[in-house]
Amino acid sequence: MIRQLFAVVGPDQRPVLRRMLIALCAAAVLQGVAFALLVPVLRELLGDDPDRVWPWLWTLVGASVAYGIAHYASLLTGYQAGATLSRSLHHRIGDHVSGLPLGWFGPEQVGKLGQLTTQNVMDIMGVPAHLLRPLITGFLTPGTVVALMFVFDWRLALAAVLTVPFIVLVYRWSANLARKADEVRDEARSEAANRIIEFVQHQPVLRVFGRGPAGHRALGAALENQRDLGRKVLVTGVPGIVGFTLVIQAAFTTVTVVGTYLALGGELQVAKLLALLVLAARFVEPMSESATLGSSLRMARNALEKVEELLKVPALPEPAEPASPRDSGIELDGVGFGYDGRPVLSDVSFTVPPRTMTALVGPSGSGKTTITRLIARFWDVDAGAVRVGGADVRDLTTEDLMSRISMVFQDVYLFEGTIEDNIRVGRPDATAAEVREAARLAHVDEIAARLPQGWDTKVGEGGTALSGGERQRVSIARALLKDSDIVLLDEATAALDPENEHAVQAALAALTADRTLLVIAHRMRTVMAADQIVVLDGGRIAERGTHDELVALDGRYAAFWSERSRATGWRLTGGGNRPDASGSPESGPPESGDPAGRPDPLTAPIR
Amino acid sequence: MTAERAALSTLLRPVRRRLGVAVALQAVSAVAGVVPFVAVAELGRVLLDDDGIDHGRAWTVTWLGVAGLLVRLLLLVGAGGITHLADNDLQLDIRRRLVDRLGRLPLGWFSARNSGTVKKTLQDDVTAMHHLVAHSLLELTAAVVVPVTSLAYLFAVDWRMTLVTIAPLVLGLTAYLWTMAGMKTQLTAFDEAMGRINASAVEFVQGIAVVKTFGQTRRAHRRFAEAADGFGSFFMTWVSSMVRPRAASEILLSPVVVLLTVLLGGACFVTDGSLDAVDLLPFTLLGVGLTAPVLALSYATYELRTARMAAERVTELLETPELPVPERPSAPNGHRIEFDAVRFSYDGENEVLKGIDLTLEPGTVTALVGASGSGKSTLASLLPRFWDVTEGSVRLGGVDLRDLPPDELYRRIAFVFQDVQLLRDTVSANIRLARPDADPAEVEKAARGACVHDRITRLPRGYASVVGEDARFSGGEAQRVSIARALLADTPVIVLDEATVFADPESEAAVQDALTELTRGKTVLVIAHRLATIAGADRIVVLDGGRIAEQGTHERLLAADGMYARMWRAHEATAERRPAATPVAQAPAQEEERVR
Repeated sequence: MIRQLFAVVGPDQRPVLRRMLIALCAAAVLQGVAFALLVPVLRELLGDDPDRVWPWLWTLVGASVAYGIAHYASLLTGYQAGATLSRSLHHRIGDHVSGLPLGWFGPEQVGKLGQLTTQNVMDIMGVPAHLLRPLITGFLTPGTVVALMFVFDWRLALAAVLTVPFIVLVYRWSANLARKADEVRDEARSEAANRIIEFVQHQPVLRVFGRGPAGHRALGAALENQRDLGRKVLVTGVPGIVGFTLVIQAAFTTVTVVGTYLALGGELQVAKLLALLVLAARFVEPMSESATLGSSLRMARNALEKVEELLKVPALPEPAEPASPRDSGIELDGVGFGYDGRPVLSDVSFTVPPRTMTALVGPSGSGKTTITRLIARFWDVDAGAVRVGGADVRDLTTEDLMSRISMVFQDVYLFEGTIEDNIRVGRPDATAAEVREAARLAHVDEIAARLPQGWDTKVGEGGTALSGGERQRVSIARALLKDSDIVLLDEATAALDPENEHAVQAALAALTADRTLLVIAHRMRTVMAADQIVVLDGGRIAERGTHDELVALDGRYAAFWSERSRATGWRLTGGGNRPDASGSPESGPPESGDPAGRPDPLTAPIR
Repeated sequence: MTAERAALSTLLRPVRRRLGVAVALQAVSAVAGVVPFVAVAELGRVLLDDDGIDHGRAWTVTWLGVAGLLVRLLLLVGAGGITHLADNDLQLDIRRRLVDRLGRLPLGWFSARNSGTVKKTLQDDVTAMHHLVAHSLLELTAAVVVPVTSLAYLFAVDWRMTLVTIAPLVLGLTAYLWTMAGMKTQLTAFDEAMGRINASAVEFVQGIAVVKTFGQTRRAHRRFAEAADGFGSFFMTWVSSMVRPRAASEILLSPVVVLLTVLLGGACFVTDGSLDAVDLLPFTLLGVGLTAPVLALSYATYELRTARMAAERVTELLETPELPVPERPSAPNGHRIEFDAVRFSYDGENEVLKGIDLTLEPGTVTALVGASGSGKSTLASLLPRFWDVTEGSVRLGGVDLRDLPPDELYRRIAFVFQDVQLLRDTVSANIRLARPDADPAEVEKAARGACVHDRITRLPRGYASVVGEDARFSGGEAQRVSIARALLADTPVIVLDEATVFADPESEAAVQDALTELTRGKTVLVIAHRLATIAGADRIVVLDGGRIAEQGTHERLLAADGMYARMWRAHEATAERRPAATPVAQAPAQEEERVR
């Protein structure tokens, strides 16, 4: 564990840690020496001439003072190490994470990194001050005492030493039991936690479909299972705890009984025996204390492993000799890619000539999003190549590539700050006029006009919540301000209300004019307008061409098109009239008016 | 503080008796724990007896000490076992009470909360109380009983030596209390600094895609680094203000210093002849052990504080007012729904609904239309009682919803909303939710009605497949399973969000077919987004700013040439617009300049 700690903190912090370890060891050994001095002190006091105790006592005073100094030094360096540890860990984590490929940053990483930078760093910070001290004291002090016991009486010392293997064995055994118990408990705990989340998130459905408080069987069962396992773990854990304490007590008993026997036989000086018994009685304590540290130790080790694991995630390699793209065309050439060995794309090849539009169409899971992400180099391809302007994206610096691409995705992240700050992210050195102009084109000025503090309204975490459509407008404004040649767009599937729909469409029109555009299309109108449609299925290109060509082909796209067209004529009618579900392609192009994406009390009751 | 205590004692009531037994056992065990030390001291007395050694007595004392150890261990395990088992049962009890309470809260309560927060209270906070229930009481008992027993014995041996022994302890504890004085404010500051780190880490990760694509990785990173530095320096200041008194108290309380004091004092008394050397033994043995239990208690301050705060949150949730259940429930007569002068406000200040009068006749389709913020979703959410009205009333069959027992209400009203909620359970259990006793034939009929039967039979285990495990549905398929559920529930009233059909562009038509089946012959209230969909409704209600602007059939509203007519014309214009040459563009937008 100490090795892990050294590995994780980085070279700058190692000297502080080393100093602390030395101080800790010194204090522990000095404590053992002070304890052992009890033997000569008591021997003289109980002997014929108590005055002969003074030299020993002064030695004890000296040892105590030395112990005090070492202890103080270890405390001071311990806390220092804790504080600098937090800083260096945070910085190391921060530096490393910012170099990771974008693909690493999934939603599950948000929670994990939050946990890592708070709870886990805390756990590690506590290692020097709260874990190493009792551990080192727990083993070094008794060790010193036993070693010095040999000087006074080898038989008792031997009796003590002989108990050590048992103590170690039982310690291992009980620690193992405790670890297994924890694993069982954790599993039950996470199952119950998932059921709780389900219960809370699905409350409306459970309620409305008559499953009241008592209704969620699975949750009740999970909670009971957690209790039952908890009980089982307790019962199976008892032998471990009892065993360890018992073996330590047995050690003490052995020493006492052997000592009494020797003293009664006159083979051992009574004063010496008593002093040794005092020692034996007292050094039992630190050892049993170290047994209770098991769970904190596991927690700290866990935390260390998590940080180590994160620091091991390879960063995105940067090219040694960067290439430079000649235009804004995109080319996928025999691209194959998979997550964790599960193939997502295989042998995908197509080109997007500069200043044209290509629409990606296909069922969910067919690989549309992955293609846009490979172009932005969220990950590197497993096979083939992605080229921008003729240059492999792996031969471009991250900065260069990013400067050429704007991404407008469905989930838009807003930083804490004003709307203006959030648009300015697109180009920090833009003038106020440029920011306003981008905002106007993206219809963000309408949002600002509506908000109580106008442009100065705080948005993002802890600020005023903007609706989905409004967020998307802000992200379009960012992209407009950035003014890159290539736009990767994920059209919103979520329904937008009519006024947002109108604004978003207008904003997109401003953004996409005269650029190279790759769009994950959900609206038929968008698809029809594309210069090229790529139909994906199961990670492969099923069909490719213009709308008219693909309809004529009468394949997957044609089927998709007629299904979508059928959907547009649907009507919900009352008074017993049946809906007219016979809409056909001839009845006009599909419409795109989409309803509210704003989280409202009905559609998204619980997050 | 007293309120906090009262809350805690209420929480602990179910296990109070068991905790009492455990404390008693712990007290005896603490006394038994002192016995071996006393035995060693007494052994010394026997062995050093000038009249010769009494062998029998020596062995008796030795075995008494061993027996003391064993008794201590047994009782200790007993006491700990009882509190741990009690804690284990208490956790289940509290969690059940919390779940029960959650099931009775107004649905609106959930929309203001994140499921993670609720999970934290139910799972983590209840677990965090563990230390309080299983350890603290016992530690407290030991911290009182061990010193009291030891001191009583020591005073009996020699009162002067006792005073000498406790001198460093008193000094050390005083220093310790001093370090604890500003603890509370510091801990609050500590939590805040932690919170800032967490927030900036979250921002860092969530915003990274934006930040990277705009070439500003440094920016988000800087914020995080600042938070980290802030925390580091706060911690350093805190620690360095504390390290001296802390070290002083630790050194004063350390066994080495206590031992040194006892031996120095003892040596003085022994050499001047005022103390028998044998009487020094108990002090070296027991004096050193006086502080350990007290220190154990103080080390647990952090856990205790966490546990207390957790208990507070648990109590708060347990005391959240539940949705009132009628004292004298009434039975509705028919299914006519009346909104009568309904006013509603989420926060008590801004009214979202400002006097709505509306009647839904049985068997008709009523569509709610309006801009976002007009109150249409809120109005619909009053029907399944997500919220209760602020003023006025909503009646079903002549009975105010608040006078209907919830199960009566939900036997009559089902809803289909945009976000599908399927449980991690078998497909058939999901469809059966409202009627667990439905037979397989009925389940299959509902699934066929919702156009999802074929999909389900293609699953590895058919209807027995578990959602999220071997049954993975696309958005539209999941939506159809939820419609099958509503079909099986067969309630006379359906509240429907029209956005449902957009869940999955690939299977829009199939969802539509399912909805057609579901709404056949029912009283339907639909929140409409696409006007074309609801043009055939029996009545269209146009909401504007929380009021009904106009209502009537599609034709009558068009003829009236009001708000609806304007919306319809805008809608028609969008629908008929042919795709322009420029992608996704509208004609006027093309002329707009690009930003440089």
